[in-house]
Amino acid sequence: MKFVRTFLDKKKPLFEKGGKYERFYYLFEAHETLLYAPKLTTPNKGAQIRDAIDLKRFMITVVISMIPCLLFGIWNTGHQHFLATGQEAELLDKLLIGLQTVLPIVIVSYAVGLSTEFTIATIRQHPINEGFLVTGMLIPLVMPATIPLWQVAVATIFAVVIGKEVFGGTGMNVLNVALTARAFLYFAYPSQISGEVWTYLGDLEVVQGYSGATPLGVIASASSSGQSAVHALSSISWQQDLYSFSNMFFGFIPGSIGETSVLMALIGAAILIFTGVGSWKIIVSVFSGAYITAYLFNLIGANEYMLLPAHYHLVIGGLAFGAVYMATDPVTAAQTEKGKWIYGFLIGALTILIRVFNPAYPEGIMLAILLMNVFAPLIDYFIVGANKKRRLKRATV
Amino acid sequence: MNLISLGIESIFVKNMIFAYFLGMCSFLAVSKKVSTAIGLGAAVIFVLTITTPINWLIQEYILKEGASLVAVDLTFLQYIMFIAIIAAMVQLVEMVIEKVSPALYGSLGIFLPLIAVNCSILGGSLFMVQRDYTLAEASVFGFGSGTGFALAIIALAAIREKLRYSNVPNGLKGLGITMLITGLMGIAFKSFIGIAL
Repeated sequence: MKFVRTFLDKKKPLFEKGGKYERFYYLFEAHETLLYAPKLTTPNKGAQIRDAIDLKRFMITVVISMIPCLLFGIWNTGHQHFLATGQEAELLDKLLIGLQTVLPIVIVSYAVGLSTEFTIATIRQHPINEGFLVTGMLIPLVMPATIPLWQVAVATIFAVVIGKEVFGGTGMNVLNVALTARAFLYFAYPSQISGEVWTYLGDLEVVQGYSGATPLGVIASASSSGQSAVHALSSISWQQDLYSFSNMFFGFIPGSIGETSVLMALIGAAILIFTGVGSWKIIVSVFSGAYITAYLFNLIGANEYMLLPAHYHLVIGGLAFGAVYMATDPVTAAQTEKGKWIYGFLIGALTILIRVFNPAYPEGIMLAILLMNVFAPLIDYFIVGANKKRRLKRATV
Repeated sequence: MNLISLGIESIFVKNMIFAYFLGMCSFLAVSKKVSTAIGLGAAVIFVLTITTPINWLIQEYILKEGASLVAVDLTFLQYIMFIAIIAAMVQLVEMVIEKVSPALYGSLGIFLPLIAVNCSILGGSLFMVQRDYTLAEASVFGFGSGTGFALAIIALAAIREKLRYSNVPNGLKGLGITMLITGLMGIAFKSFIGIAL
């Protein structure tokens, strides 16, 4: 691999100050540091670091933790396709269909997002930030398999430019970038991202009695007609036991590409927590916030939706995926340790509130996280203020 | 129960800023620091909570057609009466703040007397008439709308304080980026729209 290094060294003067492509220095630097660790060391004076972790390694860890979700999502896309069209299929067939639908979305998201980043970094002359490595993977995972590719592109550009770059790039944004992309699509093109869009059907006929409604959709319509939610889930007619508890836990259900499997999200959570990249406090508090709120609703039990057993809430929809990969976003989450507990708990509670009370949205985790992103700086402000007060008191005694 | 849900609704679902875009001028201008924003938020809560019931009484007993105290229909005086009440209340708040906290008085500056023409305050009174609230409902609504406004402006101020570490393009510094943040906050607040309590 020596020749890559010599190639880079040879080309480097072209991009440095006074070189022919001086404007594109940051483009070059981004590729160089992607291939080789930068040679920079900490100066003698100033802060010392003891770990070589940098933003690239940090972000790549998150991408690695998402791979189980991605692979499962690819398989599940194919699985749902064959279930809905009533065909028998081998593992390979399912993966093939899945790859055929999911891969273009991933490619579009990365290609469009990275070229937007490169363009802006070159215009504004700032280093290219690696944050998009994660965002580019998160965006496809929260999209339905049938999303038109141009919409993915538009949403990605919107999220990168308005959600992040106007604030100065990675680490300075207010809202989670991937969720901004999804919320943008959700409000701009609602018909392609809600309703029965979750299963890729191709041009095949569906089986008799087929319905593409997700568990959340089934529960919402059951409770509005006064039926028991659990009963409605267990009596899906076109496919035996499609929405059993274990199916929903393992993720053999329709939904956004990466969000269906709670198991895969938990594996990702284990990777994130083990490497110290994600905050376990946020993950735990989101789950407990959701569980406690849902349990309180069980006790009140004013309508059928409130009566849905609390542990069901944890496995349906994107709660687990959002809790693990989006609520833990270190940029937009609360920064203080106490604040993380409050922030996560409120996300969980709000998710259940939106699910149960808001007929306009079947799923609440997306908007709950965005809303708490807005309030995270405020939570930090008050926690820091309280810390100051406590220490001042200690100092004067 | 009805009053509680009206209160929650006016804080979140029918938020003055994100559902009706009322009171944007002070929302954008006085949100640079959290402490100032809290001060303005509290002032708006106070003024709204006082003026909405007072205006309700005036509307009910004096202005409305067939009101019990006045024989003629004085509905055409509605705006000017409401504004007069609001201005008087703001004057009161101003004097109190100047006496109690001169620092806050200084940092609020011109925006304190300008609460008198803050659209969300007159809006509160007019909504109260339009929606046929009772006196109790009007009081709760006034308090809830004020709290919604305060919540929004304090959250924006906290974000803007954090924004000091950001690298915003020159052309967008100041109001431009604040407008963008307001839009993004609006997306997040959409989570409440559609909730019927």
